[in-house]
Amino acid sequence: MSDPTSELDGHSSELSRSELLKRGGAAAFAVTMFGALPDKSLGFYGPLRYQGKQLSGELKILQWAHFVPSYDQWLDSTYVKRWGEQNDVEVKIDHINNALLFSTASSEVAAQSGHDLFQFISPPSSFQKQVLPLNDIVQEVSKKVGPMSRVGRRSTYNPRTKAFFGFPDNYAPDPVQYRRSFLAEADVNLKTWEDVRKGAPKLKRAGHPVGLGMSNEIDSNMMLISLLYCFGGFLQDEENRIVLNNGSNRKGAIEALELMRDIFRNGMSDEVFAWTAASNNQAFLAGRLSMSLNAISIARSAENSGNTGLSDDTWLASIPRGPVTRLGNEHVMGVYVIWKFAKNKEAAKKFLIDQQLGYREHFVRSQYYNFPAWTGAIKGGFKTIRAMTKQDTHKPRGKYTILTTIAEKYTTNVGHPGNSNAVIDEIFNRYLIPQMFAQVAQGKIAPADAVRDLDREAKTIFRKWRAAGLV
Amino acid sequence: MLENRRVLAPLLIAPAVIFILLVVGVPFGWAIYLSMTDAIGGSLSGNFVGLDNFTNAWSDANFQKALRNTLIITFASQAIVLVGAAVISHYLIRDFRGKWFLRLLIILPWAAPVALGTLGWLWIFDSLFSVINWTLGHGLGIVDSTDPPQWLGRPNLALLSVIMVQAWRVLPFAVIIFLAGLASIPTEVDDASKIDGATGVKKLLYVTLPLQLPIALVALLFGIVFTAADFAVVYVLTQGGPFNSTQMLTTWSFQIGINSGSLGEGAAISLYLFPLLAVVSVAMLFFAKRAQVS
Amino acid sequence: MNQPLQGVRRKLPTYLVVVPFAVVLAFPFYWMLVTMFKEDLDLYNAENVPYVFNPLQWRFWESATTKHVEFLFEDTQYPNWIVNTAIVGIVVVAITLLFALPAGYALARLSGSWGQTAGIGIFLVYLIPPTLLFLPLSPVIARLGLQNSLLALILVYPSFTIPFATWLLMGFFKTIPQELEDAALVDGCSRIQALLRIVFPVSLPGILTVVIFAFSLCVNEFIYAFTFISSTENRTISSGVPNELIRGDVFFWQSLMAATLIPSIVLALLYNSFLDRFIKGFTGGAFR
Repeated sequence: MSDPTSELDGHSSELSRSELLKRGGAAAFAVTMFGALPDKSLGFYGPLRYQGKQLSGELKILQWAHFVPSYDQWLDSTYVKRWGEQNDVEVKIDHINNALLFSTASSEVAAQSGHDLFQFISPPSSFQKQVLPLNDIVQEVSKKVGPMSRVGRRSTYNPRTKAFFGFPDNYAPDPVQYRRSFLAEADVNLKTWEDVRKGAPKLKRAGHPVGLGMSNEIDSNMMLISLLYCFGGFLQDEENRIVLNNGSNRKGAIEALELMRDIFRNGMSDEVFAWTAASNNQAFLAGRLSMSLNAISIARSAENSGNTGLSDDTWLASIPRGPVTRLGNEHVMGVYVIWKFAKNKEAAKKFLIDQQLGYREHFVRSQYYNFPAWTGAIKGGFKTIRAMTKQDTHKPRGKYTILTTIAEKYTTNVGHPGNSNAVIDEIFNRYLIPQMFAQVAQGKIAPADAVRDLDREAKTIFRKWRAAGLV
Repeated sequence: MLENRRVLAPLLIAPAVIFILLVVGVPFGWAIYLSMTDAIGGSLSGNFVGLDNFTNAWSDANFQKALRNTLIITFASQAIVLVGAAVISHYLIRDFRGKWFLRLLIILPWAAPVALGTLGWLWIFDSLFSVINWTLGHGLGIVDSTDPPQWLGRPNLALLSVIMVQAWRVLPFAVIIFLAGLASIPTEVDDASKIDGATGVKKLLYVTLPLQLPIALVALLFGIVFTAADFAVVYVLTQGGPFNSTQMLTTWSFQIGINSGSLGEGAAISLYLFPLLAVVSVAMLFFAKRAQVS
Repeated sequence: MNQPLQGVRRKLPTYLVVVPFAVVLAFPFYWMLVTMFKEDLDLYNAENVPYVFNPLQWRFWESATTKHVEFLFEDTQYPNWIVNTAIVGIVVVAITLLFALPAGYALARLSGSWGQTAGIGIFLVYLIPPTLLFLPLSPVIARLGLQNSLLALILVYPSFTIPFATWLLMGFFKTIPQELEDAALVDGCSRIQALLRIVFPVSLPGILTVVIFAFSLCVNEFIYAFTFISSTENRTISSGVPNELIRGDVFFWQSLMAATLIPSIVLALLYNSFLDRFIKGFTGGAFR
């Protein structure tokens, strides 16, 4: 909903119906048709005016439609406007559904024209050759607030080219969300994956199964890759070589596969193979699931639905411990790139720096979804963040403080202990890991064979990207 | 001069041909070029690799699955469409009360924009809230409501779901074409068949169906094109899953070319569609000519 | 007029066939109609009957809500998208007819055997999926300055409506007897006059069919619509709805259903009345 004062200044990315009628059909027609004349880009709303003066520069940003709509509203109508006025730049920001980020990016690259800043929610390694290296601004921010988090660095740095191909802006930790009453009744705890294996059948019998997806969607992807870490089944090593079928990795991966097969057979149903990213949310909110691994969108949706019986009973926890470690992925890794063909590179760089330095507000407005990639961007680092999360008023009080622990200790990048490079990117985007788990769980292939096959496929992918000079 | 056939004909055809050449021809050529390079990440150029992308694709199990699925989904759904449309149009051409309203209901699936209609089906097949499963489980008690069939989670069910949605949305289109064809059958034929005593089913088999053959082939041909080259239904319903068991050439090429960044490979996969459809359409046009009733 | 009962009994086989088909084809829309007015608590309860509003009562409007539909119209750019879709559809249909009518006629009448080959050739061009073409088309769109403009779609859509329309019209023109035109030519008309005054009017049903299909192809298209236009206010419904009503892992199902149902009903009504027109057009045609 656009707030009244922003309408006076003429720019808002929300259009209420009365606004539409006010502007008149004919005007709308004309401006919509010709809204993208080169060099003018008036868009639908006319040029941004600051106290009657037209702004001289222009910056175009594209990013995902945040699951917290109020964050986008604040970003569009308050933050970028304010930044734009302070820097004499007209900022146009578009949001698109995250599923189509890659195709839109490909189209802009093919066209060699489009937005200046493009934000992905996973490291866009395949576009490395199309973007500016951002070592300079990374250094500038690090000078001011200290080093960036490990997860940020491993997601955007290419050791082969020694360049930061993206600017890490934020990440979302991935907690377990569970129904305390269900778990208490069934006498189940979630400290280790073995506990989950033992508890799953009990919870299923009580009508509240666990929700661990094995579908071609992001939740399953993140959870299963994290599961592999916990069992020591690492896909690549520190040098980014594929090592899944070696020694302890192989053993760990096989154990993880057997665990999920077990949990599925005794504790879940076929539905977990048909999930969309929304399915575990919906099932949890319907009061069916007892636990799931997901960014805090589940907990926040529960609060927004007004169902306090549900939201007060929804608690957060860190990922269960496996035999080797307790480690999870970030659920979303917000990385900005500046295209080589960007028209206003200076403004783009400044925007990124300013945004990170002022991240405190973003953290709050996103309801703690967006953790800053530089922990020091919020003065006091994790200590301050923990204190802030304690402020949340939803019951049980302080439930979001665990997020800080997870972010601090148990969050890493996809491809740990190596980088999130183009190989990992492709494996991730093709959902090879959920597919492997699903096939084993459905009994279509033995765990050892599945591990061997994935290793082989990963090596093929590796060869391809090595030939392209990106790994 | 304009009376001369040889001048008039090209003159009338030229605008269409030029338009198509410019808008489709040039990008098509470029796409062919791309398929023979190792282009990645949206970049429209790369190193020449000859036919490597094509041979690599051919030997990939996922590609073969995608190719098979394209054929299965297309022919299964269009078989349903053909039979259904032939039957419906036979009755719908007559006059009866409520015809306008019933025809409206039948047209609805085609009127829905395909991406949106498929989103509706995504909800209809939902893993937890599926209305079909509710009806089968709570309503009729045929299936266990705590473990209902996963229409999008098991490979054969998922394939079936895709086939059903394709048939559902193309059926009205075929009905409309069949109606057009039936309406163009001269009444003399109608009268003659009445005189000969051919009514009902006999008429259907010996008079209507043969006369409908050219029109039926048009409907079948376009139905095949709309289904085989379709992207939205599989992408929205299953994204090609579960584990690539419902991939079609279009979605697989998108997966490889866009989501995985291997543009050259994706282009090559896409191009396999072209000869496939070309063979089918030439064959059918050939039969259509033969079947033309003068 | 027959007595209704007698008429119904005679027409019974008709109803027995048509009604089940109609029900199966249209049931998703009935269900969309109910879903779009459901409260969240009603919808996200797997035990509830999906066909009605719960808690079940005859005053069903007390269990239902219009807030999701209001959300669609007031808090998203849905009205814009509808206008955009209509503009693109109408202009593209006009362009299509402009190019395809003469081409279809030429191929049907004037070109003999190479007409057949040209017909197949045009048709084959249609078989290249947009999933492949949108990338090489992107620089073309950019260079013309049409990025993020509806003009991009208006330029590109005829590329798949024209071949289809040409082929369809070619078929329709072939069913018109040559004698009709010959009579006009004997009367002293030029070929072009014969074309405009005799052939086109008689082939109105064919033209209407092409209008229906060309329009529906434009409304259905979503790959170009999604990649060439990135500002939400310039989108069409095929790209705007999935973009705005699916945020991360939250689907706004009720609004999605409303967004689908409304244009579907409008278009179905439109197509249905066109169908009437052209069936009547055939039965009242010139060759009786």
